[in-house]
Amino acid sequence: MKRIRPSRWSGQLLQARCRAGIAATRQPLFLAVRCQSTSPATTANESSDLDSQRPPLPAPSFDRAAQSAKLAALHARLSLPRKIPLQTLARALVTPSADANPNFNNSNLAYLGSTIINYHVYEYLVCKWPRLPMAILYEALRAYAGDASLQQIARRWGVESAAAPGEEVDPGLLQWKAGEEQMVNTRWGYIRAEAAKGQAWRRGLSSRVVLDDDFGDQVSSSEPEKLEYSGLQSEAFGSVVRAVIGAIYTHCGREEVKSFVKSHILSRELDLSKLFEFKLPTRELAMLCAREGFEAPVARLESETGRLSRTPVYVVGIYSGKEKLGEGAGPSLDVARRKASMASLKAWYLYSPGNKVRVPSDMMEEGARPWTAPYIDIGEII
Amino acid sequence: MTVKALRAIADGKNGLGAFVLQCRKLDLHYCDWAGSSKGMNGFIKSLLPKFAAANPQIEFAVSPRPGKHPVVVGHYINGRTKPICVRNLSPYEILQKVELLRDASGEKLRRTNKAVLSTKPSVRGIWSPYHGKGMAV
Repeated sequence: MKRIRPSRWSGQLLQARCRAGIAATRQPLFLAVRCQSTSPATTANESSDLDSQRPPLPAPSFDRAAQSAKLAALHARLSLPRKIPLQTLARALVTPSADANPNFNNSNLAYLGSTIINYHVYEYLVCKWPRLPMAILYEALRAYAGDASLQQIARRWGVESAAAPGEEVDPGLLQWKAGEEQMVNTRWGYIRAEAAKGQAWRRGLSSRVVLDDDFGDQVSSSEPEKLEYSGLQSEAFGSVVRAVIGAIYTHCGREEVKSFVKSHILSRELDLSKLFEFKLPTRELAMLCAREGFEAPVARLESETGRLSRTPVYVVGIYSGKEKLGEGAGPSLDVARRKASMASLKAWYLYSPGNKVRVPSDMMEEGARPWTAPYIDIGEII
Repeated sequence: MTVKALRAIADGKNGLGAFVLQCRKLDLHYCDWAGSSKGMNGFIKSLLPKFAAANPQIEFAVSPRPGKHPVVVGHYINGRTKPICVRNLSPYEILQKVELLRDASGEKLRRTNKAVLSTKPSVRGIWSPYHGKGMAV
């Protein structure tokens, strides 16, 4: 560490040091009249001398929420019910990195919202694609309700972040800054005993279900891992969506929040067949057929062209007895066979009872039809 | 565990579930003195309060721009802006321009020559030369 030499300091630094005592009595910025501001300037009479001497708040005060045009526009753009006050919406935009006090930031609402989002997405995924492997289920949840996806949703809502959080900022902007101590309130899980052994230590999928958080990620013990700037940013934007959903649940209840999650999160488009990555598709298919009592799969060449050319194409079908399980085309016999096995495995894993599948939370509605159990798969192949 | 999962992000389709109006903010600039702003001043006085009340999703900002022609600028969720100069227009003509800005998506204008743009695979599938009876040459 370098020694501090005040004699070498420039004049500016020393002057700033002298003025530090005076800065506290300076009038807060929002008292100054700004002609082109979107929010009306508060009159100087309202605040007493005592008020002007206090240190500035880390985020805008909730009593300015009713005057923010941005906030009212956001409220109307999301067609939120009137029961949700603008003050709650303003609180949903204050992240813990701006204001660490949980009475004024969105951490509690965001945690509530994340449980609601994850519940609704999970029940939809499990009922609609009952045979999804656990690893795919985790990634599908992340694709719908992970930070990156929620950040996109917040941006499409028109949420913008303030350049820096502060009392004078418009309450309709996201109050967020990078590099602050992050409070991980939206994750819940057990801290593993073997966490100290590092990332190389193997985590089985069954233990993830019990021990880890909703996305199957390990909950770290003492210090949360340092995220990059983009990671922190998506966490901040994602917390807005979570907090808005938590606020809807708090003020309007179960039915409203379910329809909101359905229309904003579950309506997004995701091709589940693009999430799969197979290592040994032929072996896995053989195991599947053995388990289900089908005949052993056989690969048959269906058609081919240009075997001796530079670009041959082979079309291979996988048959179990007389049933055709899948088909694939490739530039070599082996690639075509592997592609055909992948296609047949995807056809098995992506079985769906239909588009109008009922989920358990449908039973909460008034006058719901009696419950019929959904299809429940016996489990993964290997 | 031979199946591994790849990361993806679900793609949002505005209007499929919820519809979010893409126009985020409208800036209206006027001049008190110039004659080209006469219609704009009339619009701000007579038509704007009703229009703003009917469109609460949009943030309206009215500000003077002395000595310049009146302009309406639309700000969109995708980050683009769309400015329209409304000099010498009557209030009702300006209303039409403002409605145009409200209904715009903010995307660049482009020619569409397909009636439907779909992200779903074709129902009928793509024709394959390797299936069926083949063609006699």
